[in-house]
Amino acid sequence: MEAILKRTAQRVHESEDEKLLIEQAQNGDREAFEQLVRRHDRDILRLAFHMLGNREEAREVFQETFLKAYRSLGRFRFESSFYTWIYRIATNVSLDHLRKRQTLKEEISYESDTEMHPDRPALKDTLAATTYYSNPERRLYGKEVGQKIQDALKTLSEKERLVFELRHYQGLRLKMIGEIMGSTEETAKNYLFRATQKLRAYLTNV
Amino acid sequence: MNVNCKDYQHQITLLLYNELDERTRGELELHLRECGVCKDAFESERAMHSVLAEDTPSWDVPSDLLLESRKALADALDRMENKRSWWRMPAFSVVFTPMRLLESAALITMGLALGVYVSNQQARVAPPVALNSSANSQSPAIPRNGTISNLQVINADPSTGQVELAGEVSQPLRFHGKIEDDTVRQLLFSALRDANNPGSRLKAVEVLSQKPTDESIEEALINALVYDDDPGVRMRAVEGLKTFANEQHVRAAFMHTLQNDENAGIRIAAIDALLARNAKDPELAQKLTEATKKDDNPYIRTKVLQFVGSTK
Ligand SMILES: [Zn+2]
Repeated sequence: MEAILKRTAQRVHESEDEKLLIEQAQNGDREAFEQLVRRHDRDILRLAFHMLGNREEAREVFQETFLKAYRSLGRFRFESSFYTWIYRIATNVSLDHLRKRQTLKEEISYESDTEMHPDRPALKDTLAATTYYSNPERRLYGKEVGQKIQDALKTLSEKERLVFELRHYQGLRLKMIGEIMGSTEETAKNYLFRATQKLRAYLTNV
Repeated sequence: MNVNCKDYQHQITLLLYNELDERTRGELELHLRECGVCKDAFESERAMHSVLAEDTPSWDVPSDLLLESRKALADALDRMENKRSWWRMPAFSVVFTPMRLLESAALITMGLALGVYVSNQQARVAPPVALNSSANSQSPAIPRNGTISNLQVINADPSTGQVELAGEVSQPLRFHGKIEDDTVRQLLFSALRDANNPGSRLKAVEVLSQKPTDESIEEALINALVYDDDPGVRMRAVEGLKTFANEQHVRAAFMHTLQNDENAGIRIAAIDALLARNAKDPELAQKLTEATKKDDNPYIRTKVLQFVGSTK
């Protein structure tokens, strides 16, 4: 798999070849669309998995991202790279999900506060328990460090978290991150700076 | 700490992410040798990077999650397409130079559907057909032995007389070659994806699993194992993959089979392949226990128990 993945990564920027695939997909070639998906789907899934922190929502974000891309591919005008375009969709979908989850949590805590639903706090715990860090895969690794990093990441704002994710874990350049956010490289730099300051304070002093 | 130190500390972040140009980098490095405050900030930020690096392996996406997500997406696309099936172009079109929308007076787009005969691994490719029509030419060159189907008028503009059509041209194909040959492999992969033709998928998987020496073949077999609706095809894919059952991605595919394949025979083939190539692996034992805890097949459960015992 490693070799296959490396090959996939190398292909990412083979833009001429990709342009052709996009045109085929725009003309209704599903096979071409699936090839495009295969070039980027691992990256998109990783982004979704990191941002949402659990398998179920990661899968939902993954699917929503590519279905959106499928429906709107006809409007793709090669003004950005396909990679940037698909990342932009994925980050928007991820942020939507995070906001929805926030709303849900607020509703639940409101209901549990009213003590109308004694079973609701349990549901809230369930939500928390479905996070990435309670997945069995994670337990195999250093749980303490992992937990600490997770806690540190929670101190970041949504945008700081996103920029940090894209730069640190996805390895994207700040220039591209600016484009993905529909903003500038300078803005992305500032978010990254703020994120690293917070993480540094949390991870090296606690 | 001089007035510029705040700027330098911004640059430290960028330095560690390799986002500084050569000149700025040189200036910063010079400053770090002179300024204790910034040097401390640099060391602290570098320490943060090492803490983060300790946990990096756990940030990998589980392979089975990728497989699940791909499958769910493919199913969702299928459902969308069933609602407008004409939209679907033949699976083969990607192998060859595709038809493009031509920016000429009359736009005609055609997909090329090729019938593949995979018999004794011998087939011959007819040249792909690109159809286009300009204002000057009379009609597109439709191959003499080809047939057109699913013809659709996509756009028609009465004011200019421009028409855009889409459809499929089918023509027979024969191709001779060895499996090492890229075209042969691509044809076999196409045959393996031909949803309407399980017989040809079975033939293709048989041929491919004889010599799964190439990563692209391995990938195609994994896709067949995970996605194919036909149990015969999936069983053949297990056969082709079993010698690689110690490799991470093949293991992930087999785990997926154990958890999701309805066919007990295929699950049995997968567990046998996994156990034959992975001795005394406690991590695998744990995953297998997890994956098969709801399996109603006694053979599989016994095998897993034996394997778990062997790791203790
Ligand atoms: Zn300084």
